[in-house]
Amino acid sequence: MQSSTPSSSYPASTTSLPFRSGTSITSNRISGEDEDPTDTTMTVPAVSSIFLDLPLIKDSHLETTSSEAQDETVKECLPFLTLQNFEPENLTEEGLPRLQRAKHIKFLKTSIEMTYPKGFTPMDSSRPWTVYWSLVGLHMLGEDPSQWRDRVIATAQQVQNPDGGFGGGAGQLAHSATSYAIILALVTVGGKEALDAVDRKNMWHWLGRMKQKDGGFTVCAGGEEDIRGAYCSMTLIALLNLPLELPPDSPARVNGNETFLTGLPEWIQRCQTYEGGIAGLPDSEAHGAYAFCALACLSIIGPPAKMIPKYLDVPSLIHCLSSLQHAPETGFAGRTNKLVDGCYSHWVGGCWSLLSAALGLVTTDLWSREGLARYILCCCQGDRGGLRDKPSKHPDAYHTNYCLAGLSAAQYVAEYVVPEGENSSETLDDELAGIVALTAPFQWRIERESEGPWSEEVKVMPVHPVFVVPVNRVKECHDYFETKSGF
Amino acid sequence: MGKYADSPEWADVVPISQQEHMPAPLAQIAYTDEYAEAMSYLRATMASNELSERVLALTEDIIRLNPSHYTVWLYRFRTLSALPTASLTTELTTFLNPLSLRHLKNYQIWHHRQLLVSAIGSYEGEAEFLVDMFAKDAKNYHVWSYRQWLVRHFKLFHSASELAFTEQLIGEDVRNNSAWNHRWHVNFADGDGLSDSGLVAKELEYAMGKIELAAQNESAWNYLRGLLAKGAGVEESKVVQFAVKYAGLDGGEVKSTHALDLLASIYGKDPAKKESAVQALELLADKYDPIRAPYWRYRLAMVNSGVAAS
Ligand SMILES: [Zn+2]
Repeated sequence: MQSSTPSSSYPASTTSLPFRSGTSITSNRISGEDEDPTDTTMTVPAVSSIFLDLPLIKDSHLETTSSEAQDETVKECLPFLTLQNFEPENLTEEGLPRLQRAKHIKFLKTSIEMTYPKGFTPMDSSRPWTVYWSLVGLHMLGEDPSQWRDRVIATAQQVQNPDGGFGGGAGQLAHSATSYAIILALVTVGGKEALDAVDRKNMWHWLGRMKQKDGGFTVCAGGEEDIRGAYCSMTLIALLNLPLELPPDSPARVNGNETFLTGLPEWIQRCQTYEGGIAGLPDSEAHGAYAFCALACLSIIGPPAKMIPKYLDVPSLIHCLSSLQHAPETGFAGRTNKLVDGCYSHWVGGCWSLLSAALGLVTTDLWSREGLARYILCCCQGDRGGLRDKPSKHPDAYHTNYCLAGLSAAQYVAEYVVPEGENSSETLDDELAGIVALTAPFQWRIERESEGPWSEEVKVMPVHPVFVVPVNRVKECHDYFETKSGF
Repeated sequence: MGKYADSPEWADVVPISQQEHMPAPLAQIAYTDEYAEAMSYLRATMASNELSERVLALTEDIIRLNPSHYTVWLYRFRTLSALPTASLTTELTTFLNPLSLRHLKNYQIWHHRQLLVSAIGSYEGEAEFLVDMFAKDAKNYHVWSYRQWLVRHFKLFHSASELAFTEQLIGEDVRNNSAWNHRWHVNFADGDGLSDSGLVAKELEYAMGKIELAAQNESAWNYLRGLLAKGAGVEESKVVQFAVKYAGLDGGEVKSTHALDLLASIYGKDPAKKESAVQALELLADKYDPIRAPYWRYRLAMVNSGVAAS
């Protein structure tokens, strides 16, 4: 494999796993035994029927807009899923299309470094996102994001609001989504200078103004209250080690003893719908992206094994998320009776490690890792680099990052390491009241690969299961701010 | 030079242009002179907290160039609220409606609408406008969330017209999950609906009727599952009787994986029916839904260990 594969930085234990290229773990259809090793003609490896067969049951007698769109999607994906659209030299021995690493790196470097033409003006309120998506994507592809450190710091300074938080551009209101993107970008490039670029005290004041009496968070002053606001805000508080007590000017301060956590798990609970999935705000429809926000947010507040089952109906949530993995596309859709889309590789694919921790599952998987990897590698790689929603869509930095994060979720096992003393008999209510610092999201370790056809040609670097940035950078950030209990 | 620099109306304002940064920030945009100029005047009026007619015109200009500019939308609403002469209804019908139909995936437009309608205090005309929106995309998340807000804000729970609307959309596409979700909202989100066994029974009939049209439609089964889990007075045996029509065990015909799934859930709770639950889950894992085999096997393990997983 090319030198761009970051093999030296993989966790040491992955090199001792019992896989070698040329054998398939999950599919007996791709056995090496029947093949003549001297035969040098390249043939397209067979793909297990699990990943190809059309569903046996279909209500063909009643076509509607939804079923027609679904049929169209299957039609456009099949030539990719059957590998028909690939040259044999672009396939691994396990019958997966290679990750077009060099092309994707080029795509993301361009997307972060280029000056966008005027047609991209509508992107003027979300530039921090492009920076974050590109940097973390580059990390997963084996590039070192710290080479952009100085320019990331300059970007952060350009959009930092004097009253705290970061906006989409110079002079724009601070917003929790763009603040989240900027902080994650700074953490991703790492280094003291990057971490010091944040005005933590004013960030704390600004977050206090976003916290609402009902427990949730608005995304900006006067803006909407939704689960993005909750997850992004808690990410900022945890990574920057901000005090959990509310600033005096917070609208959520009523009795004076409220904290950023007050009412938040209950607010998230209200987002679970009759389908079992999670909506972006109470009353709306269950949606895969919001399931990730909810699970990650609860996993920031406390240990997933305590927080998630206490506040969510886990069996019905799993039921709902599992049904989003479609056959024969094998990727994830975002909602019931909607279409697969590469970005849900992360939004739904990223839920499973949090759910496994919630249920204490160590070796049992609840989803098809290989299926997801197949969808991403077959259907989402653009010819000229970048990853996409589905074959008929153009790649962009957003889909590139979240497709790669999904691939990372498929390839690695993220484990929550229960710290000494965490299993005490204390009830969660006592614990929540007594939380002085958010330690749970820093307990994750990624030390092994999952079982699957993961040859070097398809592998990506892992990312943190809650914050979606390089794992070692989360530790660096935590260690750095742990020493700063005040400002 | 530019529209604002040349205008006597703006002569008193000193524009604030964007500062240069070194090194260059990432993902920069080569703004048009028009946008850069308008933004520099916006920074100036925001800095002095000016709320005026000319600010309305300025924000309109910027929104037309960049409709996802959340800062400008919120500033515009503050300005509208402060001006006694501004008409919120005109804002809604002549400015926002045409813009909404052009920018379907925009968060800001719907938040602005919610602020306006809340301030106006009436939802008159809203349902009619939303018909046009749903004609373009019947599953638009922002539009549905807005409609759910309307129902809660104006207490339209159990409203005949809201129910008729969901009925119409489900009639057009029985797989439109957003319409099913809205139906649940109108019927049950007020908190009392689920304890009304008459209403629950009626909705159960409704879901069953729709399943009869297309038995593999997950939206209708999820609605039915929700009623079974949360609704008052649902007879489980009646649901089983219905589901077995679509999920023959012991070699019978299977017309719906969702029926197998539901039967497995119900049978799984009853030790006497454990074998049937196992059979349904094995059919799903091995034959009808093998991409989800890991999940079905997890459910199998739960049934075998005596814990009902779902
Ligand atoms: Zn997408």
